[in-house]
Amino acid sequence: MKNSLSNIILFFSFLIIQVLMSNFINFGPLLIIVVYPLFILTMPTTTPTSSLMLWAFAMGLGVDYFTDSIMGLNAAAAVFLAFVQPLVFKLVCRKGELENQIRPGLTELGLRRFLSFIFIGLVIHHVAIILLENFSLAFSLHSLIRIVLSLFVNTVLILLIEFGIFYKNWR
Amino acid sequence: MAKRSSVTPILATIVLFLLLEAGSLLMMANSSIFQQIRIYGVLMQFQGKFMRAQTNINYYQNLKTVNEQLAQQNTRLLNELDRYRTQLDTLKKDTLAYKPLTDSSCFEYLPAKIIGNSINKNHNFIVIDKGQKDGVRQDMGVISPNGVVGVVSAVSDNFAYIISLLNINQSVSAKISRSGAFGPLIWDGKNPGYALLTEIPQHIKLQIGDSIVTSGFSSIFPPDIPLGTVRKSKIIMGTHHEIQVKLFQDFRTLHFVNVVINTHKDEIDKLSKTNEK
Repeated sequence: MKNSLSNIILFFSFLIIQVLMSNFINFGPLLIIVVYPLFILTMPTTTPTSSLMLWAFAMGLGVDYFTDSIMGLNAAAAVFLAFVQPLVFKLVCRKGELENQIRPGLTELGLRRFLSFIFIGLVIHHVAIILLENFSLAFSLHSLIRIVLSLFVNTVLILLIEFGIFYKNWR
Repeated sequence: MAKRSSVTPILATIVLFLLLEAGSLLMMANSSIFQQIRIYGVLMQFQGKFMRAQTNINYYQNLKTVNEQLAQQNTRLLNELDRYRTQLDTLKKDTLAYKPLTDSSCFEYLPAKIIGNSINKNHNFIVIDKGQKDGVRQDMGVISPNGVVGVVSAVSDNFAYIISLLNINQSVSAKISRSGAFGPLIWDGKNPGYALLTEIPQHIKLQIGDSIVTSGFSSIFPPDIPLGTVRKSKIIMGTHHEIQVKLFQDFRTLHFVNVVINTHKDEIDKLSKTNEK
């Protein structure tokens, strides 16, 4: 019960942060600023993938709706990220470890593992977004620059968020 | 996470994943033109492959009816030939009235098989398996037992490219067989079963069900090939009828056609050219 309540609170806070960042700060065309993947990646490890995907879909739709992007773009990418989240988690963690862990966050995983976890997740998310936006399998140099730049900026942003706000208040 | 041993939850997850992604893609298609074009492009590719398979199946299924049609046509032609023969015999007795038939017949027919056909565009084309080697030339007419099919627009050695009647740029000179009023028969790009006969003067009386035939005023098609029947008509600009014609020819089940070779075309063209000067 406490878990789902905190999920809901986290959901709305992430949505609000994402919407504020996308709407009120102009990053130019080269940067895709997304912080909501953190929400999907750090859902409790015991969450079934189907409910994780539903959360991700709702989050993506909310972001799409409020940030004036193509409707469904972020939703598709987020659902994909949620779909592969358990696999990414398995990549980072040894089996049997952190079985009953509540959230795979910074303190639980340690900085290095958390960083790689976030990074792999963000790569998947960004590639999905670029593919959906261009709707072809061909990568141009422009897309590559977008992906790399956004990756760095988003990783730093997510680390800051994880360090600061939610870490202290909600865990 | 590790407790998922049975298959059903995994399947359910995958199905949910596909559903959510499909929903997102649908939303994208609805909200963004670019994505819409790309998504529909991919869908169309699949559709095209599917349709090709479907046409092949249809072709085999229709073979029976096509055979029947051909047999019917055959018997009809044989009967006609017989009639002409008897007529020729009677004429031969009276040597004064006899003229050799070969001189007066103006049109020859060359049977051909359709190897490519489209009906779902505004500009539909047909490809047949007869070309320059068989005597097919540009601007020859193509007919079927049920009416006009189109006009040859380009020829290679073994194939010919035909602008179908179902092409908004194509027009065929047609007339109402009862009154003889003629005008161009065009296709409006809407329904492959219907065409429009335009420029029929307002005073011409017509009834629903009147038959429409080729006029024979162009050197492309022989006269009096049945095309279709009047379905409805309306008066355009208060001056002329626009008649919707239900075509006899179903272009979806078309497999065999005849190329019309007008043996006198060069002569006619030359004559009209010299007179125009």
